[in-house]
Amino acid sequence: MGNLIALTQRELKSFFYSPIAYVAGALFLLLQGFVFWLLVLVMVDPRADPGLSMAQYFFGGTFFFWFAVLLIAPLLTMRTFSEEKRTGSIELLLTAPVTDAQVVLAKFLGAWLAYVVFWLSTLIFFFVLRRFSAFDWMPVATGYLGTWLLGAVLIAVGVLASSLTRNQVIAAVLSFVAILLLFSVGLLDIFIRDPEASKLINYLSLMEHLRDFSKGFLDTRPVVFYLSLTAICLFLTGRIIGSPRWRS
Amino acid sequence: MATPIVVNNLTKRYDTAVALAGISFDVQPGEIMGFLGPNGAGKTTTMRILTGMLAPTEGSVCIDGIDVGDDSLAVRRRIGYLPEHISLYPELRVQEYLEYRAHIKGVPRSDRRACLQEAIAQCDIADVSRKLIGRLSRGYRQRVALADCLLARPKILILDEPTVGLDPHQIRQTRELITRLGQQATILLSTHILPEVEMICHRVAIINQGRIVAVDSPAHLRQRLQGARVIRTQLKGEASAVEAALRQLPGVARVQLTGQTDGYAAFDLEVANGGDIREAIFRLAVEQRFGLRELSQAQATLEDVFIQLTTKE
Repeated sequence: MGNLIALTQRELKSFFYSPIAYVAGALFLLLQGFVFWLLVLVMVDPRADPGLSMAQYFFGGTFFFWFAVLLIAPLLTMRTFSEEKRTGSIELLLTAPVTDAQVVLAKFLGAWLAYVVFWLSTLIFFFVLRRFSAFDWMPVATGYLGTWLLGAVLIAVGVLASSLTRNQVIAAVLSFVAILLLFSVGLLDIFIRDPEASKLINYLSLMEHLRDFSKGFLDTRPVVFYLSLTAICLFLTGRIIGSPRWRS
Repeated sequence: MATPIVVNNLTKRYDTAVALAGISFDVQPGEIMGFLGPNGAGKTTTMRILTGMLAPTEGSVCIDGIDVGDDSLAVRRRIGYLPEHISLYPELRVQEYLEYRAHIKGVPRSDRRACLQEAIAQCDIADVSRKLIGRLSRGYRQRVALADCLLARPKILILDEPTVGLDPHQIRQTRELITRLGQQATILLSTHILPEVEMICHRVAIINQGRIVAVDSPAHLRQRLQGARVIRTQLKGEASAVEAALRQLPGVARVQLTGQTDGYAAFDLEVANGGDIREAIFRLAVEQRFGLRELSQAQATLEDVFIQLTTKE
């Protein structure tokens, strides 16, 4: 556990010491702020449906949300393993007395916590909104939870992609494509008539689950789904990192 | 204490190439062992296997009595490793980096400060401890990596080309440091520079093209190289009788039976002063009626390596 904390700290330090963190963070906030402003604008319109909630649209309800999330995961993870492989610093990491699982988990946590921090900073918007209008906090809470769980999946995919190559750009492209494919599974629903298959597609759809979260429903099925996808990706990453150690 | 490093028949094959063709050697407690060979001989591969980064195709490595394949973590806890290409996190400060390394190397919190100070003092990097690693010169970075290596006070150090890329002054400092460290730890260091080995190592293993060519003390090696020449012969007859007869020849320093096939016994002979006694062996064979199948001057691999090593610095 101590090792995991030290490794994760190192990841976070390296991330937040670099200017990229602040440039990306600022752009992220700018984008989310813009979305929030747009949504407020729509909702204050007297013709708008009074049943609409902010959380429902803010978390997964707009194109901007998906754009930001699908893009940010590859950006946060592209360096994780490929950079260490390229510079060779991975040699010192893998010869230190830490397990492969700790190394992988720390890489994941480093990127994921950065992602969590990014999203957490948007909480200010809701506090501002609160001063002007009453709303239910529950969908906001589950909306954040859903967004973070979704982020865990995408970041795990990104870490896996990064472990496959020593080139950051390839890692980023690889994870972007993988994430896009994962995202698109949910879109297949439109083409499918069979109700059973449609159920399956819905279960695998990242978008569908987030819709539930943002309505304030806390269902264990999507939580399990997100967490198991994350675990699978991280497990595979561990295998890839550790494989030179094994006898053929 | 178990023997610090035992390498047994280590083989590493890649799809198309053989990096190591069954090498064996050991390093005794307190020894500074040199691992000498030209570039591409298999030094780094060996060290990566030793540190548990890479699995061998065949053979085994025991560090302090623990098989690397069985318990790589326990092995990693016992060694300090300096890789050939040093790459540290450039965005961290030296002090910060070493604290992080001490942490993941399992140095207890109460001991961390003392270990850090000690390593910093030993490698003489106190004046840069607050600097960013990315701003350091190559020599300083090397010393930071060396300090990292010493943090957990390991009893076994594995140093891959510790002086490569340094200026002459730094090279001298590093060599002095290694000699000092040799008083507390067992050291295996690789190099392609012969004089370096003679200066700091107690014993040296010469490796070439994935094979160990010789293991000896630097002084002995020099003697063997300057004087001896190897003659290879195969004679038919009772091996012990043939061997005794060969020993009688003038100038023969060492006779080694290298194999026996269909009645023939193969020998390697070392001749003092580099004399050529092939004619004498031929006459012996005729007189004693030994069948003669091979008589040649051996490809002196050791000599080849030696030449490569001495002509390049």
